[in-house]
Amino acid sequence: MFLTDLLKPKTIAYAHCDLPCGVYDPEQARIEAESCYKIIEKYNASSDDQFKTRAIVIKEERAELAKHHIDVLWSDYFKPEHVQKYPEITELCWKAAKQCSKVKGSLDIGEAKTLLDMIDKIADVWTKAGGPTATRMPKAAAARA
Amino acid sequence: MEPALCDGDWVIVAPLARPPRVGEIVLARDPRVPGRLVLKRVARVKGGVCTLLGDRPEESTDSRTFGPVALSAVLGRAVFRYAPLLRAGLL
Repeated sequence: MFLTDLLKPKTIAYAHCDLPCGVYDPEQARIEAESCYKIIEKYNASSDDQFKTRAIVIKEERAELAKHHIDVLWSDYFKPEHVQKYPEITELCWKAAKQCSKVKGSLDIGEAKTLLDMIDKIADVWTKAGGPTATRMPKAAAARA
Repeated sequence: MEPALCDGDWVIVAPLARPPRVGEIVLARDPRVPGRLVLKRVARVKGGVCTLLGDRPEESTDSRTFGPVALSAVLGRAVFRYAPLLRAGLL
C-alpha cells in the first residue's frame, strides 16, 4: 500500500454547483425545436382531430423542453468570460427562450423556423467559445465514419 | 468554492463543538440529497439555522437554492488542505 492510499480522504464533499456533468450542447435544444417544426407540419397536413389535439400537446411539451435546454446553456454553460467576449449571447439566449414560448402557443411554422435559426446562432457562439471540445466527449473514430 | 477550494482538494474537517461562525467553510449535509455532503461558506447564523453560500455566486448552488441549513446538519469546519502539497495550508 502506498502512503497516498493512507492519506487519501475517505469521504467526498461537494464544493461546487449541482452535480455538474459538464456536458452542454445547443443540439439538445435544437432537436426539441425540430420536433416542434415537424409536428406543426404534420398538424397542418392532418384532418384527424384526435391526431391534431395530440400534436398540440406534444408540441407544447417539446417547446418547453427546448426552453429548458436554452436556460441550462445560458445559466450553467456560459460563463462571465464568455459574455465578455461574446456579449450578444445574453440577448440571443433571452430571445430564444421567449421564442420557445411563442412556438408553444402557436401553430405558425414560421415561428418554429425562427426558433431554429436562433438556436443556430447560440450554437455558433457555443462553438466559438470552445464548447465542442470543452463539453463533449469525442466519439470513437469508427462511430464517426 | 474556487479559489478557496478546488476540485480534488484533500481537506481536513474538524468537528465543531460550537455553532459555526460567519466566514468559515463548513461541511454540511445537503438538505436536498440524503448522504450528500457539501462544503460552503457560512454567510449568516441565526435561530438554529445558517445560510451557506459558495464563493462564486454566479455558479454556486447554495442556500439560495436549497435554503437555510439546520445547525444540526453542519458537521464540521474545513481547517486544513493537505493536498495538493503546493496549495497546502490553513483554510
